Amino acid sequence: MIKSRKDKKDKLKSSRGRKLAVQLVLVLLAFVLLSYRLYLINRDNGDAYKRQVLAQQIASSRVLPSRRGEIQDRKGSKLAYSEKVYSLVVDAKLMNGDDGRHLRPTLDALKSCFPNLNVDAVKEYVNRNPASRYKVFMKRLTYDEISPFEKIMAEGLSSNKAPVRNSDSEEEEEEEELTVAGVWFEDDYMRRYPYGSLGCDVLGFVQGNYEGQFGLEEFYNSTLNGTNGRRYGYMNDDSIIEESIRPAEDGLTLVTSLDTNIQSIAEKHIKQFYDEYTDNYREGPAANNIGVVIMNPNNGEIYGMASYPVFDLNDPTNMDQVDMRPYLPEGYSASGNEASPPTPPVEPPPMAAVSGNVSGDSVSEAKAPMDPKVKAMNQVWRNFCISDSYEPGSVMKPFTVAAALDTAKITGDESYQCNGYLEVGGFQIHCHNRLGDGLLTVEQGVAKSCNVVLMDIAFAMGIDEWRRYNKVFNFGLKTNVDLAGETSAGGLGFGEGMTQTDLAVASFGQGFNVTMIQMAAGFSALVNGGYYYQPHLVTKFLNSEGGVVEENNPRVLKQVISNKASERMRDYLRAVVMSPPSDCTGWSARPAGYTEGGKTGTAEKAPRSKRDYLISFMGYVPAEDPKVLCYVVIDRPNVEYQSESTRLATVLNKKIMTEVLPYLNVFPTEPITEKEREELEAQQMEFAYSANGVSLNSIIEQNNSEAEGEAAEGEEGALDGEETPIVVEPEIQRDSAGNVISNNAIRYDSATGYPLDPATGQVLNPVTLLPLDGDDSIMTEAGQGSHAESQESEEADDSIIIVDPI
Amino acid sequence: MKKKMHIDLGLLFIVVFLMGFGLVMVFSASSYESSVKFNDPTYYLRSQFFATIAGFVVMIFFTCVDYHAWEKFAVPAYLGSLGLVALVVTSIGITRNGARRWLNIGGISLQPAEVAKVGVILFFAAYICKMGSKISTRRGFYFSMILAALPSLFVVIITRNLSSAIILFGIPFVMLFTASRDSWRYVFWSIIGIGIGALVVYLVASDILPASMSFRMARIKAWLHPEAYASGKGYQTLQALYSIGAGGITGKGLGQSTQKLGFVPEAQNDMIFSIICEELGLCGGVAVMLMFLILIYKFEFVAVHAPDEFGSLIVTGVMGHIALQVILNVAVVTNTIPNTGITLPFISFGGSSVLFLLAEIGMVLNVSRMIHE
Repeated sequence: MIKSRKDKKDKLKSSRGRKLAVQLVLVLLAFVLLSYRLYLINRDNGDAYKRQVLAQQIASSRVLPSRRGEIQDRKGSKLAYSEKVYSLVVDAKLMNGDDGRHLRPTLDALKSCFPNLNVDAVKEYVNRNPASRYKVFMKRLTYDEISPFEKIMAEGLSSNKAPVRNSDSEEEEEEEELTVAGVWFEDDYMRRYPYGSLGCDVLGFVQGNYEGQFGLEEFYNSTLNGTNGRRYGYMNDDSIIEESIRPAEDGLTLVTSLDTNIQSIAEKHIKQFYDEYTDNYREGPAANNIGVVIMNPNNGEIYGMASYPVFDLNDPTNMDQVDMRPYLPEGYSASGNEASPPTPPVEPPPMAAVSGNVSGDSVSEAKAPMDPKVKAMNQVWRNFCISDSYEPGSVMKPFTVAAALDTAKITGDESYQCNGYLEVGGFQIHCHNRLGDGLLTVEQGVAKSCNVVLMDIAFAMGIDEWRRYNKVFNFGLKTNVDLAGETSAGGLGFGEGMTQTDLAVASFGQGFNVTMIQMAAGFSALVNGGYYYQPHLVTKFLNSEGGVVEENNPRVLKQVISNKASERMRDYLRAVVMSPPSDCTGWSARPAGYTEGGKTGTAEKAPRSKRDYLISFMGYVPAEDPKVLCYVVIDRPNVEYQSESTRLATVLNKKIMTEVLPYLNVFPTEPITEKEREELEAQQMEFAYSANGVSLNSIIEQNNSEAEGEAAEGEEGALDGEETPIVVEPEIQRDSAGNVISNNAIRYDSATGYPLDPATGQVLNPVTLLPLDGDDSIMTEAGQGSHAESQESEEADDSIIIVDPI
Repeated sequence: MKKKMHIDLGLLFIVVFLMGFGLVMVFSASSYESSVKFNDPTYYLRSQFFATIAGFVVMIFFTCVDYHAWEKFAVPAYLGSLGLVALVVTSIGITRNGARRWLNIGGISLQPAEVAKVGVILFFAAYICKMGSKISTRRGFYFSMILAALPSLFVVIITRNLSSAIILFGIPFVMLFTASRDSWRYVFWSIIGIGIGALVVYLVASDILPASMSFRMARIKAWLHPEAYASGKGYQTLQALYSIGAGGITGKGLGQSTQKLGFVPEAQNDMIFSIICEELGLCGGVAVMLMFLILIYKFEFVAVHAPDEFGSLIVTGVMGHIALQVILNVAVVTNTIPNTGITLPFISFGGSSVLFLLAEIGMVLNVSRMIHE
């Protein structure tokens, strides 16, 4: 019995023992598996985790911002610079530290020092995120703004003798005084443009701190930016936080060939033009755009580059000062999404030209649908002089002649008969003077801008040579001017399929597109001896200490024509300006006291049926030894007879040159007539009046003539009331064709310089003395549907960037 | 009388060693956090040291008092444990780190789940002895299961502390398995349980059960992909893994952990094993597990040779308790199972835990004294 009980007990014991042994084995197994797991962690991820742990050791890591380089003009004036500013950072943990003793005094101090700061928001944030160590509440504070607060903080420090900003010893401060804590200021930089809108299209602006947009800011973005530094705090072997600083490397400063004064002269005159011609003939801006490029033809340095409109670089998205009408779709309200404002009770102008866009608009239109406002702003920001292309018109003629001379296809001594038109491929291609100029030498052909002469010269050269020279002059290629957003217009040139008709119109600059910078760079080569310089703005790179890091010397890319041909071209182009007014087209461009060479241009815009013109003048002074080149383009001036308004461009050129030349120490060589002197003095008075630096030419004053202009419109193109006709002076007055008009009763149209019909007030063609009917298309007879129309749309060029403002 | 002095010195030595090692590690792991929080690097160390002294006193007391004396306290201990757990919801409950798991009794904080572990061990030892072979019947099995599940349900519902609940259920499960004659039921239900767990994990992993359903689902997600939840649920686990990886085979050396400097949350507590691995390496970690293995082997020895079933079952319960807790803790730290707050016995910081663990050890030592009668 006892034994059985003992057996039973033993049996029980052994069964229990077995199960306990099983458990022991299970535990052993679990431990082995876990050990294996430990081993696996070390084997598979050990290195990565080790690195991770080291990375975490960096207790703090803060970016030390680099200072973006400046942009200076040729005299060293700062066009753009980065100013040190401060961000207000709240360290909630520190502020809440010491049982919240710092909270109230800190908030009070913030309230008193920063009236714009929402202290309640800070309070709420600190309460909600007591452990937060970094939260920026204000940005772009200047030193003056933060110094009162820093003073309060410093006082707190000295009275406590304990560093406020030291995370390790935030306790145990004596109860004596309530101190400010948990706020500090982080360095930052802010881009400033001391001249506001001056050179806005050339300079570009900066989004955020380091993202240049447009112009130099974008093109030289990385050069300007430098490298951000960093401040690391890390734990050393003794678990003490050490700091290591890699200082920021400041960006390089750009010294440009731009001249603040020349730039402001150009902008001032563009603005004057806009002031004068806005809502002149039709309601709308004075022109679709005006571009002015002023450069040194002997080295490719650009002195000034201006277009319309301008915007404030310090606040690029603020368009309050800009007339946005041409850029916004009709009926779009700039103020927001509300319904479009009631259209004024005026019939839309018959041509509806107001809504017409600058050629090249289609680039942005092709992109995904975009807020019209953003699109419009991109239009304002883009640089017309490099980003827009157009048919150059007669300014192209010297290129044709130069190519023919250079290939010896003509000698320059030929004479051509002009009957007013030439019949090419079934079209009658007209001259500007439809009556014909008779027998003309090459020089006379250029001076009178005769299309027939040019067509004959082009035919002498042939299609292949013409195309070859087009390439030589770099048309259809980017000039690689150091500005962002340049277009090549390469897709709008002539391809393999160029026909004789194409050649005929191409000889005088129709049927293909160019950019202003291409024209200016090429023209410089025509007159400077044949050397094609790369157009550029930046001449030097300076480091932050002012030492020269790199010089950007003028670079001759090639010789496009021979010295001799260039010499001949200078003679021809001199004749364009310096001939008697009856024998040339450009006499009105000449600044008093100087000799000038140049070429006028009146390009018919596609579609031809619209009768829109792009007028231009390319001039250089002195005519014998060019020192300054100025190219003016006015796209669709707001006048009734656009095709006859070339005078607007020549006069604009004259006004600009008159101011620029003395400034560049180019001295007058010619005698100045009494009348010229008066004119000069009047202009000088004007300088003095508006000499206070830079013109902010963005404000378009609404002419009170608006109503009058509309009224006048109804009366079959009578002069509108605001347009003050030139007061007829007692001396002999000539029209642009040089006809001496002694009858004082005859008045002249200010835009074209053409006489007005005393009876009807219509502008008359000075040669035919018939009223201008506006039908002045180059080609007649189905000519209006020609190939050129298909080239209206700008090719999609990837260099044009649409910026979405943040 | 001479026999009475014959306690298991090996077992005692391992416990003392683990306690001492625990104090060193608690100091190492907590000194930084302690300096930051209390401006005193020894704050946690002192607290743990006093708990250890108190624990040894309690241990000696339990070593001296014949364990049979506790048999009549079995039912009160069981009900008392349930009552204490329930007290958490009253005004004397303390909330820490967002969890309401402590009681404030006369200024001393106490985790009722720790008390319940001792209560459950005592109760089931007595219960199994009383029921004898009845626990091996079907009805007996289910009834026992209900009794075992009750405190664990209490804990999980009232304190939302799953890990303690698992241990509270695991202890009687192991004891019943060891005592019953129909162990297949246990094996069967274990497999069912593991199967259900695996199914849940599978469902969460394949996004059939949304992780937003409860924070446990999210934890499972974080367990599967700790990197994806590095700043949230997976942070603690990931930091523990970084520590283990940083330690390598031999470790950085005692006191050299950098992960304890504010990176591993609860470095002196649930995650102390990761700091051990960082400072002492894979070798140190395995050595600690080896110590626990020897300890469990000692328990097994005492349990097998215990003079009677009651004593044997007490030791089995203590063994189950410690084995489960060690395995779960190390598994959590190595991200082998989803994260759940569980401490490493004898080593992790925690007064109640030390006190009641040493009480259990005291009982085991008392049982061991009776072996060689």
